[in-house]
Amino acid sequence: MISKPLIKATFKQNLIVMLIIIAALMLYLPIIISMYNPDMQDSLNEVLEIFPQQFLAALGFTAVRHDLLGFVATYFYGFLILLLPMIFTITAANRTIASHVDKGSMAYLLSTPTKRSKIAITQAVYLIVSISLLTGLVTVVGICVSQMLYPGELDIMGFIMLNLGALLLHYSLAGLSFFASCTFNDTKNSLMLGAGLPVAFLLLQMLSDVGESTEFLKYFTIYTLFDPEKITSGEGYIISFLIMGVVAICLYSAGIMAFKKRDLPL
Amino acid sequence: MPVIEISGLTKDYGNHKGIFDLTFQVEEGEVFGYLGPNGAGKTTTIRHLMGFISPDKGYASILGMDCRMQSACIMAHLGYLPAEIAFFDGMTGIDFLNFMAEMRGDIRIALRDKLIDMFNLDVKQRIRKMSKGMKQKLAIVCAFMHDPKVLLLDEPTSGLDPLMQKTFAELILEEKKKGKTILMSSHSFEEIERTCDRAGIIRQGNLVAIENIKDLKEKRRKTYLITFDSAEAAEEFKKNNSFDEIETNGATAKVSVTGNVATLVRELGRYNVLELDTESSSLEDIFMQYYGNNNIDGRMQ
Repeated sequence: MISKPLIKATFKQNLIVMLIIIAALMLYLPIIISMYNPDMQDSLNEVLEIFPQQFLAALGFTAVRHDLLGFVATYFYGFLILLLPMIFTITAANRTIASHVDKGSMAYLLSTPTKRSKIAITQAVYLIVSISLLTGLVTVVGICVSQMLYPGELDIMGFIMLNLGALLLHYSLAGLSFFASCTFNDTKNSLMLGAGLPVAFLLLQMLSDVGESTEFLKYFTIYTLFDPEKITSGEGYIISFLIMGVVAICLYSAGIMAFKKRDLPL
Repeated sequence: MPVIEISGLTKDYGNHKGIFDLTFQVEEGEVFGYLGPNGAGKTTTIRHLMGFISPDKGYASILGMDCRMQSACIMAHLGYLPAEIAFFDGMTGIDFLNFMAEMRGDIRIALRDKLIDMFNLDVKQRIRKMSKGMKQKLAIVCAFMHDPKVLLLDEPTSGLDPLMQKTFAELILEEKKKGKTILMSSHSFEEIERTCDRAGIIRQGNLVAIENIKDLKEKRRKTYLITFDSAEAAEEFKKNNSFDEIETNGATAKVSVTGNVATLVRELGRYNVLELDTESSSLEDIFMQYYGNNNIDGRMQ
């Protein structure tokens, strides 16, 4: 059900963006891990006290757990892991379908004995595989660096769960961008929905964290389903995971259907 | 059974734009010219044949398969040359050809290379850096290199220099000998004249005529510009002759003749003619002939 030449070409097309995001993630993660120091934690807290509460809250810098996992959950999974992969998925998702229709190169793809559903499925699979690659890399590097610097300190299971949550979150966000890409004929509209909505979600998430008066905003953003605090403390997060999974499946399916059925201005 | 079949095909975009109740067939081994000005509906028709859009009414089929529902099956036997060339950024010519061959699951290196040679194509160049003519040639190679039974060519010689246009016409005639079925759209009568057996003329979404090329040529009105040696000679010519239209302007006469020019040539033999030139009839002129009057003998199919 997948076109090998197409997925290879898409992979090549987005390789540079992918490498840039991987580089950024690989830069921040080890640095943050290395900043962890039970003693240093106190001095760090002193520094943080300088900033206003709201500002810190917006960036997710209000930890509950005080071990390595909690530290990483706060400083890496509070914001960076929300933002960086999203930049990749927004760009890549738009390029998978809408960009080809916009430019007209989709005509060439459709001039081969390849069904529309096969094309859309191939591109969706590409997104899923590359997100998994990104997250997998982060997981592996995170564990390795932690073991190197603080052997035995990292709650590995918890860390894996954290990454699983991030994975599902980005599956859904990419699903949204993919759906936009399948539905619209040009990059402009595809990005309006496919970039606009995820970014809006992120902003709402940040605002909702600022204080009690804005807390209600958390119902308007999908980021709420990824809660590092809940995951690291072991509270019920399975349901959120399931919801994200279902949302992702729905969005990809809807995208594929939309692309199959509609008229294309080629 | 016709290879390409269009019946009652209608797609209304509002404001009189679209195609309306198109019906025609292309038989196996036929080269069919599809003629019309920009915006007439040629590309819309081809989009239906390619399965890019669904009609409001009617259907289009190729090799007995529905163009929208069984598009992928049809594509195994079809070569397509779009009017607007849009390839994949970042690829070289040969990368693109390899990619397309893989996507088709049909790799014929010998044929591909023969076509590359025939059109003098530099395939190592990056597509982004190619001139329009180069891109057009690349598109031609891409459409023909898997030896498809059916070919849909939308304005195939656009961007080609006259030598390459001739080469392309030779390619079409070669393919015709192999029994291929070709539908070629254009807004240049001269282009269609060279290679097609029959031509359909579309205007504002309606098919106004389908004729054999031979008949079209006979019915076509050509305009000649003749420069005599004096204004008096021109006036005399005008007085003594009655062709479709004679206009004089000083020593120059503009004469329109339908069909056979033997009479004109004979008459001109009586004068001292300094220059003889043809004015290629615009598409509008041709259409006025077919759309504006009833010279078709009711031969619309």
